[in-house]
Amino acid sequence: MKKASVFFSLLLVMCLMCTAVMAETHLNVAWWGNQVRNDSTQAVLDLYTKETGTTFDVTMNSFGDYWTTLATASAGGQLPDVLQHSTAYIQQYVDNNLLLDLTPYVESGALDTANIGENILDLGRMNGGLYGLCVGTNSMACLYNKTLLKEAGIEIHDLMTMDEFMAVCREVYEKTGYKTDLGYGTESFFNYVTRGLGKPLFVDGKLGIGQEEAEYFYGLYEKAVQEGWLLGGDVFASLVAGSVEQNPMVYGSSPETMSWCAFNWSNQLKAMQAAAPEGVELALTTLPSPDPVKSGFVACSMYFSIAASTANPDESVRFLNYFVNSVEANKILLAERGIPVSSVVGEAIAGDLDPLTQTVVAFVNNVVVPNSSETPKPDPDGASEIFALSRELVEQISYGALSAKDAAKTLIDTANDVFSR
Amino acid sequence: MSFKVQQMLRTVLYHLLVMLLGFVMIYPLLWMIMSSFKPTNTVFTTAGSLIPATWTLDNYINGLKGFGGIPFTTFFRNSFFISVLATAGTIVSSAIVAYAFSRLPYRGRGFLFASMLVTMMLPAQVLMVPQYLWYNKLGWVNSYLPMIVPYCFAIQGFFVYLNVNFINGIPKDLDEAAKIDGCSPYGILFHIITPLLTPALITSGIFSFIWRWDDFLSALLYVRTSAMYPASLALKLFCDPGSSSDYGAMFAMSTLSILPVLLIFIFLQKYLVDGIASSGLKG
Amino acid sequence: MNSSVSHRQKRNLREWLCRDSVAGVICTMPFIIGLVFFLIVPMLLSGYYAFCDYNILAPAKWAGLKNFARMFTADTKFFKSLEVTLFYAFVSVPLRLTFALAVAMILLRNSRLTGIYRAAYYLPSIIGGSVAVAILWKRMFAIDGTFNAVLGMLGIESRTAWLGNVSTAIWMLILLSVWQFGSSMLIFLSSLKQIPQTLYEAARVDGAIGIQQFFRITLPLLTPTIFFNLVMQMINGFLAFSQSYIITQGKPMNSTLFYVVHMYQQGFEFFKAGYASALAWIMLLIIGAFTGFLFLTKRYWVYEGGA
Repeated sequence: MKKASVFFSLLLVMCLMCTAVMAETHLNVAWWGNQVRNDSTQAVLDLYTKETGTTFDVTMNSFGDYWTTLATASAGGQLPDVLQHSTAYIQQYVDNNLLLDLTPYVESGALDTANIGENILDLGRMNGGLYGLCVGTNSMACLYNKTLLKEAGIEIHDLMTMDEFMAVCREVYEKTGYKTDLGYGTESFFNYVTRGLGKPLFVDGKLGIGQEEAEYFYGLYEKAVQEGWLLGGDVFASLVAGSVEQNPMVYGSSPETMSWCAFNWSNQLKAMQAAAPEGVELALTTLPSPDPVKSGFVACSMYFSIAASTANPDESVRFLNYFVNSVEANKILLAERGIPVSSVVGEAIAGDLDPLTQTVVAFVNNVVVPNSSETPKPDPDGASEIFALSRELVEQISYGALSAKDAAKTLIDTANDVFSR
Repeated sequence: MSFKVQQMLRTVLYHLLVMLLGFVMIYPLLWMIMSSFKPTNTVFTTAGSLIPATWTLDNYINGLKGFGGIPFTTFFRNSFFISVLATAGTIVSSAIVAYAFSRLPYRGRGFLFASMLVTMMLPAQVLMVPQYLWYNKLGWVNSYLPMIVPYCFAIQGFFVYLNVNFINGIPKDLDEAAKIDGCSPYGILFHIITPLLTPALITSGIFSFIWRWDDFLSALLYVRTSAMYPASLALKLFCDPGSSSDYGAMFAMSTLSILPVLLIFIFLQKYLVDGIASSGLKG
Repeated sequence: MNSSVSHRQKRNLREWLCRDSVAGVICTMPFIIGLVFFLIVPMLLSGYYAFCDYNILAPAKWAGLKNFARMFTADTKFFKSLEVTLFYAFVSVPLRLTFALAVAMILLRNSRLTGIYRAAYYLPSIIGGSVAVAILWKRMFAIDGTFNAVLGMLGIESRTAWLGNVSTAIWMLILLSVWQFGSSMLIFLSSLKQIPQTLYEAARVDGAIGIQQFFRITLPLLTPTIFFNLVMQMINGFLAFSQSYIITQGKPMNSTLFYVVHMYQQGFEFFKAGYASALAWIMLLIIGAFTGFLFLTKRYWVYEGGA
């Protein structure tokens, strides 16, 4: 009697649980970002829940923490169903079979890519599959203090060559005392320069450059140190690394600790302008390169991927499809993750964007797109080590403790070691 | 008369000195608190001046709003829940274990004590992945269990050793006498040692609470739902180097998050003073 | 009869339970459980990884002694970071403890303001290693920062970026550690309270005052606490992480690269968790040897008599 009642109540509980599970799907979504992104993304999730009944657990983190959690979660086979991904790490996740190949879903039409250019889909193709859907594009850009240049009477133009750019740096320094932040800590600048020399930084998961190209790159810093206009490691030591608000272009009390420009991603213009002192107007142009057209490229600002371990691949794809293709959702997101990849969405929300975002969109579409080459592949395994080393080498050059030649040799030697493992 | 004046002068000098040094100690924090009342876009541009030119509460309003519809108070509540339970577990378990290490000799005690010290010598960062895997196996991931339960088992050697040190300082004659009166080792722990241990327990409580309150690493690993974040981790959400950061709100919430700890400290430090002094310990 | 047997059994059991050695094991039980369940398993796992190629994302592969060989042959930052860490630990810990003891002595004095003073001196330790501290510290010691401004007021013109200078940066981290001396101070304070007043009275009768009192009574009775603080702080010093990680990231030119920061970069930024584990276990050996050495010296200078 007693046993029976226990049995039945258990059965009842199980049935209830089953129906609960069947009635609603539950997805875990993870991303990194700031308050604006957290709020807008959550709003889109809420909207989706209202429309479909699918509920979400969200994990938001700042960029650095995000990768720590993601790595440990993947060790335990606990990756979130849908996760934001970056060109810096996606290759490693794909190499270790942690992400779901989206190709079948594109073929079946569950993931509607009709309005997404093939070149943009290619950005997420690795190891013969589609492992990340690029959700926004942007490009590298040289943001600069327009007000300062105007007051000093210095003219610059898009697609400057390296020599033209260095001449500007010299002139700015002589006339205003402002120095130049030559992409300190901006990893992608390295590749940008070597592409201009005809050699991408990485080829097939190995270092693609030789002593000559490396020496050219480090030579830029060496020259800048000699001429006195390089903003060096001692200034950056007092700043919060990577922070927009403490970028030396907008933050500092005297020209000797400030830069007239900042190498960054195009979509940073808005945040940078918000952080700039009153009366300072910022603008953007292309990064300098020995050959700007060979260097330039449209970048994937971030991907959305689906974990291979997900229990709900179909529902995850359905959400991803909504996230990328829904005009309604993107009117909330407002291109905060980069220019929408769907042409339909892009046109539909164009009018809703704020003026600065419109400037950025125009810059990418009108200046970068016509003057660019193939987008580089995501960084290979080992790239983070190379970039860390390169940052140190640049630092040492900025302290005058290392020559460009020795820096280049160290880089090549270490890279050979890193990639041979 | 002159002696009295001299003494008064010395007192004034004492307070002056302590206050001056105290000001140097808290200046950086004062800067943070003042910054939390500045408009967020001027936090750094006006970093040179301590007092805000215009006072604003926007940072507090903005910060308390939280993220994605989760108000910041939720994070504070989570922190409280975790810190209080973990601290209670730490205090009780550490004191009991310390009592054994200090007063109750048995075979293998030295070995256990040494292994306790050894467990403190491995960097916590290298244990992150193995610990995660283990708790994942136990099914504890995405709950507060990994952040509370282990602390109830005296896993922090620091607190055990701290208590051992204090119990060693309590004269043995007291428990010898109690023993003769027929008191069991457990009785001695509760009736004799614990009351005399108050300062150490309070000290442990303060440290443990603060460390749990500040700990974001375990939450980062084990809590997968942002609504369950403690304040220490949520604070980091204000600063995303990849996009813009809201330093004003971060300072505001940092200020709020040191408040409870500070209050607890001020409240408890009184007992530190009174602890042994009032218990009439004979030399 | 039956009941009297069970009664005797009960009494025997109780006697057995109350034996010092049995009660000792029982009271240590929480720790034994904690050790087995929460400490040993992860530690052994990390010990295993030290002999593996492990990138976190894929299962570990056995690699023998490769990681250890790499440390001594191919890793230029291994010795550099070890050197920085040893310097940091051996300089900051004594400074911090001296300062903590001095302040504890000063704050021993009871006045109406004592509570507030203690809170003020303890405040820096409350905010620990949060993001806010990193920003504060960088701000204080920037070229146009507070410290240079104060120096300027004193008539010393300075344009040093204290955190950006290879020879001063590590001192800024040492200063931070001294600034956050609160925990050691609190421990000193509560041990000072544990010293019976009668001893001081007796000493006064003997004619010992002020400094003499300090050296004859306070210091000897405090040696167990000093020893405790020394051991704990040295272990913490060797394992220092957040100061460097959040403020300098090892810059400039690796002059503040703590061992554990180096380890963390290897493990979580370069995904070489196997190598990071090997680094960690070498550190464990170093700390173990040093702590063992401290315990050997204990009987020469630590007063164990109890009060």
